[in-house]
Amino acid sequence: MSSEKKIKNLYAVFNPKSIAIIGASRNPTKIGHVVLKNHLDGGFGGKIYPINPEAEEILGLKCYPSVSAIGKKVDTAIISIPSKMVAAALEDCGKAGVRGAVVITGGFSEVGNAEGEAELVRIADKYGMALIGPNCMGVLNPASRVDSIFLPIYKLGRPHVGDISFISQSGAVGGCIVDLAARAGLGMAKFVSYGNAAVIDETDLLSYLEKDEKSGIIVMYVEAIRDGRRFMSVARRVTKKKPVVVLKAGITAQGAEAAKSHTGAIAGAAEAYKAAFKQCNMTEAESLDELFDFAKIFYQPRAHGRRIAIVTNGGGNGVLAADSVVKNNLELAQFSDSTTKELIGFLPPYATAKNPLDLVGDADAHRYESALNAVMKDPNVDAIVAILLFQTVQLDSSVVNIVVKASDLRQKPMVAVCTGGEYTELHRRILDSYGVPTYPSPSSAIRALAKFLEFSKKHPK
Amino acid sequence: MENPLAKFGIKAAPSSLESDLAGCKAAAKKIGYPVALKLVSQQIMHKTDAGAVKLGIRNEYELSAAHKELCRIGRGLRSDGFLVQKMARNGIELIVGGKRDSQFGQLILLGVGGIYVEVLRDVTFRVCPITKKDAHEMMEELRSYSILSGSRGSKPINKEKLASLLVKVSKFLLSENPAELDLNPVIADHRGYDIVDVRLIK
Repeated sequence: MSSEKKIKNLYAVFNPKSIAIIGASRNPTKIGHVVLKNHLDGGFGGKIYPINPEAEEILGLKCYPSVSAIGKKVDTAIISIPSKMVAAALEDCGKAGVRGAVVITGGFSEVGNAEGEAELVRIADKYGMALIGPNCMGVLNPASRVDSIFLPIYKLGRPHVGDISFISQSGAVGGCIVDLAARAGLGMAKFVSYGNAAVIDETDLLSYLEKDEKSGIIVMYVEAIRDGRRFMSVARRVTKKKPVVVLKAGITAQGAEAAKSHTGAIAGAAEAYKAAFKQCNMTEAESLDELFDFAKIFYQPRAHGRRIAIVTNGGGNGVLAADSVVKNNLELAQFSDSTTKELIGFLPPYATAKNPLDLVGDADAHRYESALNAVMKDPNVDAIVAILLFQTVQLDSSVVNIVVKASDLRQKPMVAVCTGGEYTELHRRILDSYGVPTYPSPSSAIRALAKFLEFSKKHPK
Repeated sequence: MENPLAKFGIKAAPSSLESDLAGCKAAAKKIGYPVALKLVSQQIMHKTDAGAVKLGIRNEYELSAAHKELCRIGRGLRSDGFLVQKMARNGIELIVGGKRDSQFGQLILLGVGGIYVEVLRDVTFRVCPITKKDAHEMMEELRSYSILSGSRGSKPINKEKLASLLVKVSKFLLSENPAELDLNPVIADHRGYDIVDVRLIK
């Protein structure tokens, strides 16, 4: 099968008009039941065919003994039955013209059953099916409401429609990503956990998402890449169109021990991955936290330099931010004369018109508005860090509108920092959901900003 | 000693492998003093650690003394002889290396070299092939970049020549696909560089 055909058939997996759930069960603790229920509760708009030869009806839907028995077109099959039975079910799907399959079932190459997996590959190849898995969580598309994540909606939140797409090898980490994205208010275009990657691997998914107009940003969690060279050639192409943030887990020193040279002793697998990501202009995250920190900043308008303005109502937090600016090889902006004059015009006499700009503890939303306006138009400023300490008496929720308004001008990248407890946390989430990337600490904000500016430099637009 | 790197334009400092003192003397005369004298043995991985490198030998008298000292160190070792090498310039010690990675193929390394490579770990990698632009970016990524650019009154190293070396090494690695390669140290100054030691593992 040509790899193009199977990549094309991924469309059916993400946007099916009809799905068959093979292994649909009456037992609420079975995966096949949860997947069916999630489609019903989640509001999947297409046709749903539960496949179970022993049931008449599940959750009010008529059951069929097999996909071929439906007698109507089925785009995608979600398969959750014992591993021994998967091949036969897949063959039946192929005969019935199913284009995409998500095999949730495990018990294949991950436990040494390479033959069983090879059989699935053979069948998928024969029919040109885009097969995701086996041993995976599968796909989620908040727009089409296809959702093979077999974790109940009441336990694991689903994000709203947005333009970040996630590719995760691991189902467990993938589930956390979905849940965290939902909680953080990050909009999601596509999610896929691809498990053993028997047919569709990370590179295929990357090339599919490259052409997916709904995906503006791609975020990847990988443990191993199957073909490093092929991955690089695709990733290099994709990052010319959209940012790709990647987290690589599993850093082993394997091979380095037996080295006979200095180079061999230093060069482990981690260095190879790091080099490859860098050469492909991917943005590498070092933790799940960073994955999200970086993902949300790519909505920002491109920057033209690395001179940072810091606006704060807490002096110490401004100093912490300035330290992070230096540590991340960015520069503190020097305000222009006209900005300085403008600042002096409205600042109280006990404040100094210098960067980091301390609006002092009695700053209210109005003072923030004047300050953000001034630095936003300063030609010496490339990006803005707005630190908002909501603990002061004067700063209230109205500053959120001011920050959002300034950010919405889309003249320069802007991030916000809100450090504190529940009241602060609430505002941080509101700002995030309005599209202002907001962070709990100056260091996390500025590290993300630095990564974004690095990307901006390579991809000026 | 046949050097497979030579046809890629990667040349180590002039040297000659000799078996005895007379040969060393003749070779040193031909190469020209000052020279370095090294004891070559498969049983020595890091020559400096073993005291098997004598530097800055200015004349025949010093050469004899160095030879005597190396013979003492080499007692009991299987020795391949003595390497007489043109004394390298004074400059910054770098390392250029290569490694075959199972996922990505040949990797190239640039780092601050010499004997403290593993300790300092001021290194950067790329997947081959690389361009000159990549080579310059590799230099910029080193923590010691400011030293390469000239600090405390020293002139910046010749980055263009180092970049060409990196590109040549990248070509060599892709063509020959060795398991590991060390050019260490590569001593660089404002005029160019000397490759002092080569270790190639097939």
